[in-house]
Amino acid sequence: MILLTIIARIADGLPLAASVQEDEQSGRDLQQYQSQAKQLCRKLNAQSPARCILEAGDMYFHCLIAEDVCYLSLCEASFPKKMAFAYLEDLHTEFHYLYGKKVSTVTRPYSFIEFDTYIQKKKKTYVDNRTRRNLGSINTELQDVQKIMVANIEEVLQRGEALSGDGCLQVLSHTEVQHDAWQPPPVGVTGDRKHRKWTGAIHGLNINSHSVTKRHE
Amino acid sequence: MSLQSSTPEALRVVNLLQERNLLPPGTVPAPTPCLPQDIQKVNCNPEVFRCTLTSIPQTQSLLNKAKLPMGLLLHPFKDLSQLPVVTSSTIVRCRSCRTYINPFVSFLDQRRWKCNLCYRINDVPEEFMYNPVSRSYGEPHKRPEVQNATIEFIAPSEYMLRPPQPAVYLFVLDVSHNAVETGYLNVFCQSLLDNISALPGDSRTKIGFITFDSTIHFYNLQEGLSQPQMLIVSDIEDVFLPTPDSLLVNLNECKELVEDLLKSLPHLFEKTMETQSALGSALQAAFKLLSPTGGRMSVFQTHLPNLGVGALQSREDPNQRASAKDIQHLSPATDFYKKLALDCSGQQVAVDLFLLSARYCDLASLGCISRYSAGSVYYYPSYHHQHNPAQVERFQKDLKRYLIRKIGFEAVMRIRCTKGLSIHTFHGNLFVRSTDLLSLPNVNPDAGFAVQMSIEENLDDMQVVSFQAALLYTSSKGERRIRVHTLCLPVVNSMSDIFSGADVQAITGLLACMAVDRSMAASLSDARDAMTNAAIDSLSSYRQSVLTIQQPGLLAPACLRLFPLYILALLKQKAFRTGTSTRLDDRVFAMYQLKYQPLAYTMLMIHPALYRVDDLTDEGALNINERTIPQPRVLQLSVEKLSREGAFLMDAGTVMYLWIGRNCNPNFLTHVLGVPNYAAVPENLYLLPELDTVESQRTKAFIGWLRDQRPFFPSLHVIRDESQLKASFMQNMIEDRTESALSYYEFLLHLQQQISK
Repeated sequence: MILLTIIARIADGLPLAASVQEDEQSGRDLQQYQSQAKQLCRKLNAQSPARCILEAGDMYFHCLIAEDVCYLSLCEASFPKKMAFAYLEDLHTEFHYLYGKKVSTVTRPYSFIEFDTYIQKKKKTYVDNRTRRNLGSINTELQDVQKIMVANIEEVLQRGEALSGDGCLQVLSHTEVQHDAWQPPPVGVTGDRKHRKWTGAIHGLNINSHSVTKRHE
Repeated sequence: MSLQSSTPEALRVVNLLQERNLLPPGTVPAPTPCLPQDIQKVNCNPEVFRCTLTSIPQTQSLLNKAKLPMGLLLHPFKDLSQLPVVTSSTIVRCRSCRTYINPFVSFLDQRRWKCNLCYRINDVPEEFMYNPVSRSYGEPHKRPEVQNATIEFIAPSEYMLRPPQPAVYLFVLDVSHNAVETGYLNVFCQSLLDNISALPGDSRTKIGFITFDSTIHFYNLQEGLSQPQMLIVSDIEDVFLPTPDSLLVNLNECKELVEDLLKSLPHLFEKTMETQSALGSALQAAFKLLSPTGGRMSVFQTHLPNLGVGALQSREDPNQRASAKDIQHLSPATDFYKKLALDCSGQQVAVDLFLLSARYCDLASLGCISRYSAGSVYYYPSYHHQHNPAQVERFQKDLKRYLIRKIGFEAVMRIRCTKGLSIHTFHGNLFVRSTDLLSLPNVNPDAGFAVQMSIEENLDDMQVVSFQAALLYTSSKGERRIRVHTLCLPVVNSMSDIFSGADVQAITGLLACMAVDRSMAASLSDARDAMTNAAIDSLSSYRQSVLTIQQPGLLAPACLRLFPLYILALLKQKAFRTGTSTRLDDRVFAMYQLKYQPLAYTMLMIHPALYRVDDLTDEGALNINERTIPQPRVLQLSVEKLSREGAFLMDAGTVMYLWIGRNCNPNFLTHVLGVPNYAAVPENLYLLPELDTVESQRTKAFIGWLRDQRPFFPSLHVIRDESQLKASFMQNMIEDRTESALSYYEFLLHLQQQISK
């Protein structure tokens, strides 16, 4: 299940388009995740890794950065990483084609909110079971998903540190990407998981302090 | 600086028992606040924001002494011909009270501004020093935010709890036998077909339909289907959505299917014999469908819901319609509709109700679904496609406006006022989410609101106070915007200044809202007494505190000379009258209208405008778009002013009556009505014929001009003495005595008597 998709401009975190899973079953309070997503968009910059995964409770944010735009999706833990990134790649291709040239000129938030219709359609094809079985046909460039850095979103946001592309950590090298369900590595193998994740992240880090903007009415 | 004593005219003493001609020739203008010209010229338009007292009393005790209600009337989303829109990375607001910078702040120097609501000193942000309009630097007071009392901001993403929602429209249609009988479905479907491309929205706009009788019917409109697929859910006790998608579809992509459905809907149910109506379940189903996104639910109902949740009983006793005593059943019979409305409000869903019925439908209960979800109620009593063509025309015109007018989604509104003042009661279709945050899932340009205020702390050392209404909404194209209106008024400390600033129409409008509440919470007779007392107490106070020389008679300041007339008009209004047969739903609808309509239309409803139209001339006419619009004088509402030789137009806001005198000028009959004589005037004429005569042009120009000034369509009824509608026309002759009510003069005498006690 892909619950939330946000597309934002890297330069200043301006949201460009978004889609929120709309059905009765979602019923979850996506408020908190939306807020985190917004903050994350502001923290990312040109030095951030092109792909990363951020752990948020029992969900994962998948993040793809391309051509000064970041594409974020919030998925359930069981949703395969490969598919999440293939989905984001697809969005990027279409979004860039339609709006790439205008991205740097807009000032209003969600200037391309109409892209939501395309996002919803794409989401359906990825969430629909038949597609999941055809995983093999997904872009083979994503073979190296093991190298995608994983971090905890709260820590990223609270420490006010921008994610850096340097020192990518091979946290997941011991785990094969499963077709159906990606399991987080068992605690015993990595020891203090959180600490290990951060070791990589601290190398060559840019410490930018961004203050969290309060929500206005 | 002491405020110069009132304009002489406002305080001119009028003896109501002697002066008969009180009405101005045209509409009663809103009073102008007594402020220095440079402030007043940037002040908020009174059509948008208005106070019952244009001079604010300095203390609560002064206000209490004046015995006039203090409150604000707003029309915040009114269609405006000119609206400055600002896109700025910084929206400048007071650090402490969050007021938006406005024309009434003061700049201490170029870098600091003082809030006019809490007096906090704020820094001027660097970006604000640059003026994008004049492209100059260093003059923050010249920026549009500080030059315009009404302005709109494009909101940055901090003002959104979620990405802006798309326009989502769901239509819930009664298709019982009764409904099909009225023929409304044809009109609805045709109207939507005609206007489908003009529905406000963008490429994300979604649309859906639910029909219902004893079961709920959904329509699968998925792209790719060759025709719409109807899915019937008969478990009305536990409604569920039969399919997860395709019940609300993208309008652009599925337009053909939608149009197919609209063309076939009226025929689908032609032969139905279903008499039951499971409205409650249909609303629950509709809510499930809309709750993930929010949007607008338009409900069309033609009879009392009698099945399943929310079923209602017929509570009206026809024998009590003309009761001179208290009226029962003004409050809801069940809290089902209010509860559902609150749930809807929480999910940004507004419910509009169209009630088209010949019989009692318990609007007092049903109406809650709109009142608390910021929806609107439309009412067409005795709607029938053949028997009531005037209603059909009104329904068509109203529908068109409804479908294509501007709409705002997922909105909230906050009203702030200068320190010392506080707001305590809200009127209008809304939900008060927290102390002063008003939840408006939809906001439409025809909705009015009112609030009551009190003075918590003395306004010492203040020359002026300000009020600001901020409406945060998502446009139909997914833009988040904030519309801000700021009003500034002087503070006074003398009774004569308070009285001279009284806005008689605003006072009447606010009293009407308060009376509706009182009727529902306590009793109708309580409300009636309270209104009469408002006139007695305020004129009494005037007499004691302002008049220096005591004279006989019933004295009022000129600015309040119409007050007793308006109070009498309210007492005779459908909403509050007793002793005259009034259908309960009609009465309840009138009450809703008094609370919901913007002031200008409420006043027409309360005190219709009467004109003689058989002798229209071009003298004093207006020239608008090369058309000459005659300007006949407004007449008193008394049969004394009618003449058998003439024709008279009564404009009551949503309805107009053209009364033809028995010996009416034959010129008028032939050249305007196209008939040879009085006897030939048709029984139910509601359209003036197209005639190529000067008289016809003039009459149509005048009526057209009146109609153009309002967003809804008033139906026109041509009536003769024998007409069934004559009673409705005569009931508006407020100044005359009837079996159950005093004449205006008698009312004045009654007031005088009470005041002298």
